[in-house]
Amino acid sequence: MAVTLQSTRFGPLEIPEDAVLEFPQGLIGLGGSRYTLLARSDDAAFVWLHSLEDPALALPLTNPWRFFDSYEVEIADDEADRLGVDAAGDTAVYVTVRAAEALEDFSANLRAPILVSGGFGHQVINQAPDAPVRAPLFSTSAEKAA
Amino acid sequence: MLIITRKPGEKIMLGDDTVIEVIEVSGSSVRIGIDAPRSLPVYREEIWRSVKEENAAAATAGPDALPSDLPVTK
Repeated sequence: MAVTLQSTRFGPLEIPEDAVLEFPQGLIGLGGSRYTLLARSDDAAFVWLHSLEDPALALPLTNPWRFFDSYEVEIADDEADRLGVDAAGDTAVYVTVRAAEALEDFSANLRAPILVSGGFGHQVINQAPDAPVRAPLFSTSAEKAA
Repeated sequence: MLIITRKPGEKIMLGDDTVIEVIEVSGSSVRIGIDAPRSLPVYREEIWRSVKEENAAAATAGPDALPSDLPVTK
């Protein structure tokens, strides 16, 4: 049975049951337990993680490897066990995006990726050394263009 | 705030399932062991706070905040 989401951003949306993601611990500091991913197209650079409980709560996400070739996610084995995610399995990795007026002020949070696997989502703390909370999304392309 | 004095090796119980143990005190650093249920995430406070702030900032983006035609690098 589909869930109807009355999004303050996007209006009414029908969300199929199998697109509902359970976040047992919610998002850090934001809570919530049921979210879904919305995209404008299959190859969209950004997707929205939208709460199914709060019509105004949504965060833009992106695939980190689209912008950061050498990005690594490192979590402790017991943490991975706890969450039921598997490095070799089909776990999708997203990072939250902080939007801004100017492209060069966009950033992604590489420290706290969101792992999605088997209908569950978890925001985890990445133990990898080079994982800033605010990594500029477009600085590399700006440098290349310059 | 409840303030308790503990020595290395001594523990504090939070409810029945969460154990905080003072492992070692060395100068101004304290090593702490935490044994918590699987469902209870444990964070260093400064990291938790910065992620919370970043999540809140990300959630302020409007529906048209994202560029649709991207200069994606690959």
